[in-house]
Amino acid sequence: MVNRSRRERGVSLFRRRSSTSIYGYGTIAPAVIVIALFTIYPFFYAISASMRHLVLTMPYDQRFVGLGNFIEVVKSYYFFTSLKNTLVYMLSTLILVVICGMTIALYLNSGLPGFNLVMIIILIPWAIPTVVAGITWKLIFHGSYGALNGALYSLGIIEEYIAWLSNKYLAKAAVIIAHVWKETPLVAILFLAGLKTIPGELHEAAMIDGSSAFKSFFRITVPFLKPIILIVIVYESMVGLATFDLLYVMTGGGPGDATSLIGWFAYTETFSFLNIGHGAAVSLILALILLAFIMLYLRLIRIEEMY
Amino acid sequence: MKGRTRYIVGYALAFIFTICVLAPILWMVLSSIQTERDLLTIPPQWIPSRPTLDNYNYVFRGIIPSSYEERGAVRSLVSQEVKQIPPCLKNSTIVALSVLVLNLILGSLAAYSFSRLRFRGRQASYYFILGSRLLPPVAIAIPIYIVVQKMELLNKYPSLILVHTAFTLPFTIWFLSLYMRNIPSQLEEAALVAGCSRLQALIYITVPLAAPGLAAAATFAFMFSYNEFLFALLLTQTIAVRTMPVVVALISVNPDVAYSLLSVGVVVSILPPVILALIFRRYITSGLVSSLSVTK
Repeated sequence: MVNRSRRERGVSLFRRRSSTSIYGYGTIAPAVIVIALFTIYPFFYAISASMRHLVLTMPYDQRFVGLGNFIEVVKSYYFFTSLKNTLVYMLSTLILVVICGMTIALYLNSGLPGFNLVMIIILIPWAIPTVVAGITWKLIFHGSYGALNGALYSLGIIEEYIAWLSNKYLAKAAVIIAHVWKETPLVAILFLAGLKTIPGELHEAAMIDGSSAFKSFFRITVPFLKPIILIVIVYESMVGLATFDLLYVMTGGGPGDATSLIGWFAYTETFSFLNIGHGAAVSLILALILLAFIMLYLRLIRIEEMY
Repeated sequence: MKGRTRYIVGYALAFIFTICVLAPILWMVLSSIQTERDLLTIPPQWIPSRPTLDNYNYVFRGIIPSSYEERGAVRSLVSQEVKQIPPCLKNSTIVALSVLVLNLILGSLAAYSFSRLRFRGRQASYYFILGSRLLPPVAIAIPIYIVVQKMELLNKYPSLILVHTAFTLPFTIWFLSLYMRNIPSQLEEAALVAGCSRLQALIYITVPLAAPGLAAAATFAFMFSYNEFLFALLLTQTIAVRTMPVVVALISVNPDVAYSLLSVGVVVSILPPVILALIFRRYITSGLVSSLSVTK
């Protein structure tokens, strides 16, 4: 009798544990399958495509070329231009987004008058599709009708309308402005969420000790926000490096090649020149650059506990 | 800061931020309620002299604005593609809502297991899910097109819904497992002891407790799907399934586009996500706060 019940208990414990595992696998399986379907095969396909001569206009010539695609791509004139453009773009948007996002977050967290209103409207750019934000800014910078021209003309600052997006420096600046406008709100909300997790006593204690607001920002706030800062810069670097939709609607990579970033380069190689091998090679280089940045960030920002 | 300075600084900052955010949108609204001809005057009419809803009537009801009948207008082209906007608004909403629902179901199932259970391969699959987002979309665009083609889903809602779900699930799962980790497990344990199954405990105990987090995750998933451009462009070639960003983008890159009609497209496409964001705004910040407070 005693024996049997112990055995039963053993069985039920075993069942319990294995049923937990089965439940675990069963519940994560749907998510893993959906994600795997659109990452594992595509990933290996991209690697294999990058090492083949794969041009859609020449379907019967799919020979293996090893690193040939990578060499051709790196040697092409567009590669270094786009690489340089991309790094400039990524770093400037990253810095601007972090500074603007932090400023707004500090303001929202300060409880200064008016923060309720800003809290509501700050969400608007975040909710707007990137391409739609791009179109809006394109119509603001428009050469023959734009709001910017109109405003400067009405104020008497310019004599005649300027084609902002046809100048290579101004076009770059315009895309960066649109990007910062679209991306800042999310960063501000993330920083705000982070600021709200800092216990208020810390700042009070610092203030009693006579530390300035500036000092306590760098001594208390920043260290506390480290994990979120890391998340923000990893995410924003991803967005910046892979920017494509803004360019599609705003400049089409132009004027000339002023705004052709590496994501745009990969897109045109693949979809305009139908050279999938080249496109895959550029995309993988893009992925490696991203990975390199993430490793760099992890070195710069040391975090004891990650999520 | 003293009362008065505090007041001035606060409202000055609020004013600057509000202008920066709203000015571009205001310009679009102003453009959409003018005739093409009034729009192209130099300098522009900051307060439209003859505001009109003709452009909206054209987009939604197909009534050609009378201003286009005038001869010799600066531009007299009617961008006919704008009539695709209402059906595409429907497509976008259907796709984004389906992505939202799938995210809630698959996301909370998986997140619960990641945050509560211990089993072999848990860590590995969690890293796989998060790591999947590191692949730049453009790198896997062609193979995803091939996968969708093989599944015979091109130009069908499920293709976009599945791809968008695959791209949003990592964030949803990460976010919800952090959120659920912060919910005390005593109630669930009591339910398990009382004979509930894991699934019942999740549905009746954890989900109601995690409701604010779920609302935030749902909003993020909806936004991503509604905003997504590259795959929407690739995987949908017919009007029957095209989404809003694609249609508006294609209209905008046409050099002969009527700006007033394009502005209607911009204003209309902005509305659904902005309304959703404003409804769920409380949960967005509070959800993030509860998830991120794990660090302490």
